[in-house]
Amino acid sequence: MDFHLTEDQQALVSALQSILQDHGELPQGERLSYAYHHSGLQALLKASGFFDAAREMGALEAALIVIEAARLPVLVETGASALVAPMLLPANEGVDGPVALIAGRDLDKAHRNLPIATTALIDLGDDVVVLPVAAGAIETVKSVLAFPYGRFRRAPDLGAGRRIAGAGPKLRQWWRVAIAAEAAGAADSAVNFTVEYVKQRHVFGRAVGSFQSVQHRLVQCHAIARATYYMALRAAWSGESVHADMAACYVQQNVGRLLFDLHQFHGGMGVTTEHLLHFWTYRVRALQAEVGGVNDAARSVATKLWPAPTVAQQGRLVQAR
Amino acid sequence: MLQELKDLEPFRADVRAWLAANLPADWQDKMRGASEDEHVAFQKFWFRRMMEGGFGAPHWPKAWGGGGFSFAQQIVLYEEIARAGAPRLILYFIALHHVPATLLEWGTEEQRRRHLPAVLSGEEIWCQGFSEPNAGSDLASLRTRAERRGDRFVVNGQKTWSSNAHHAHFCLLLTRTDPKSSKTRGITYFILDLKTPGVTLRPIKQITGASHFNEIFLDDVEIPAENIVGQENNGWAVAQSTLSSERGLTILELAERMRVGFELLLSDAQSPAPAGGRLIDDDEIRRRLVDVHVRIQALRFLVNEMLMQVLRGGKAGVEPSIIKIYYSELLRDFTALGVTIGGAGAQHLQAVLMGGGNETGYWMQDYLYSWAWTISGGSTEIQKNIVAERGLRLPREPQPAGAG
Repeated sequence: MDFHLTEDQQALVSALQSILQDHGELPQGERLSYAYHHSGLQALLKASGFFDAAREMGALEAALIVIEAARLPVLVETGASALVAPMLLPANEGVDGPVALIAGRDLDKAHRNLPIATTALIDLGDDVVVLPVAAGAIETVKSVLAFPYGRFRRAPDLGAGRRIAGAGPKLRQWWRVAIAAEAAGAADSAVNFTVEYVKQRHVFGRAVGSFQSVQHRLVQCHAIARATYYMALRAAWSGESVHADMAACYVQQNVGRLLFDLHQFHGGMGVTTEHLLHFWTYRVRALQAEVGGVNDAARSVATKLWPAPTVAQQGRLVQAR
Repeated sequence: MLQELKDLEPFRADVRAWLAANLPADWQDKMRGASEDEHVAFQKFWFRRMMEGGFGAPHWPKAWGGGGFSFAQQIVLYEEIARAGAPRLILYFIALHHVPATLLEWGTEEQRRRHLPAVLSGEEIWCQGFSEPNAGSDLASLRTRAERRGDRFVVNGQKTWSSNAHHAHFCLLLTRTDPKSSKTRGITYFILDLKTPGVTLRPIKQITGASHFNEIFLDDVEIPAENIVGQENNGWAVAQSTLSSERGLTILELAERMRVGFELLLSDAQSPAPAGGRLIDDDEIRRRLVDVHVRIQALRFLVNEMLMQVLRGGKAGVEPSIIKIYYSELLRDFTALGVTIGGAGAQHLQAVLMGGGNETGYWMQDYLYSWAWTISGGSTEIQKNIVAERGLRLPREPQPAGAG
């Protein structure tokens, strides 16, 4: 596939970037926070129609929106509202965002974006439940991860939601694409932020970034971020579930390396919240664990690519040997 | 192991019995989520109790109220402290290790009399004022300025990463007294009373949520000349004594604590796995557990070898650098496995065990804190350069023209 954006896609990205640039600033008072959800920007993107891109243009365009929004230190929930929900729900069914994606087997645990969500998509394995989230039903859980986390005060009544039979696999597929897209944008920002830092920071009379030991590892980090971007775009474009598995598997596998090096190159500042780095890295870190993490993603790839041979195939293999 | 250590088995039994009788069995319950005040009170209590038992200052000379223990005895003591899971006396680390090493070698009699007994009484807590925003691994580029005005010095500048400064009374302070001299020359070492006007502290918020470190701002702070340690402009040599004070015993204690902490990891791995069975039944988890387990043993061999060199009267060469790299990377992988085993539930903020080791079982905080270990005390990258240049005798990295 050709990763060169079309004119329409470029226009979409530029329009989005100019809004994000003007409205995506982190308030001074939030600089030491772990996460900051920008509700104003969320509303603005919705009003400007960016959440309709998946249906009006396609999943690839929606993924581009998720990637661009994830470049900001502030949080706007796009992965679930702009990509997963529109790809999952029937075309005539709107969804009220922000949306939280929830693994049904861990219903009692804390979930990403639940405190800001108005809708939850609950993965019950085979089926999916679309559940409106009532104000006051959620309690916030404190976390270092750069998303708001919350849990249901009482077990939610799943009967109050709408059940979509057989939608589980599709939910997990687009959830994985959203993970890769969001991680791609955030990782790219984190790498760029670190590259700027090591250019400015001097030790032993030279820029930290002039040491080869730093350069080589930063190049690897950059490669991880770029590869994630391409994997996410391919999965969004093809709509193949195994591509979604691969994209999530790739980034979930490589997150640890990325995070450690980027924080390490910030020296002592890297273990504080007194810079912006964690706003990106701790989002990626949170995404690492979702939809079963790298283990489930890898198993899914293996099962789809290399299913157990049929009896007939086995017979042919024995003959061939 | 050397005969000298074997001969200490009766001593080991004494230490073990004393710890069993004196360490409050519920200390971890009480210190999990304890406030700063409760933490300080408990550290004071435990230090005094250790002093009463004769184990609080094992490496200090008897003449100054310490235990006067042989190096071999200290090895045994730290092993037993770690195995008992006793609190780390982190509040007293600088006071117990850096202060005597510095003052006994370079201090005046008056400075020793003023401070050493006060440290052992448990009342005097110290911090370190070495690192600056632009002088960390490259400490010799420090710029905090001290200017002589008669019998006093006026200090202006900023220090950072000062652990526990918010509890400390005094600070070991490095300043530049001769701005014309560069790097290691023209540095003077002071004792700074933190109550002096012009000293301002600002806590640094760590990624774990805690604030153990501080920035220290120094604005026209006056220090009497009698508080110089060593000679004016000779502070770099004094600082070397400070930094080489504990001769591998801290890493021994940490390696032993890690071995104990591994049991915690192993026990958490017995938890049910999301897809059925126990986590430890998963091949990936098993493989990582074995990897960490084997590396803990290798760490102990590295530490033993270094201690034996010191015990035989030799000087450790690049071994401390190798061990620092090895320990900090192992700690990171160890705690990362804890986070994996803990799953998403291990990522929420929980109560921290105050005064605990580096493996408390609150894996997210342990993991995040492990990142400080690849930075502090000379980053992994610097340590690798040291080993490459001084150990493997590889050529130095090229210096760009005009670089200082």
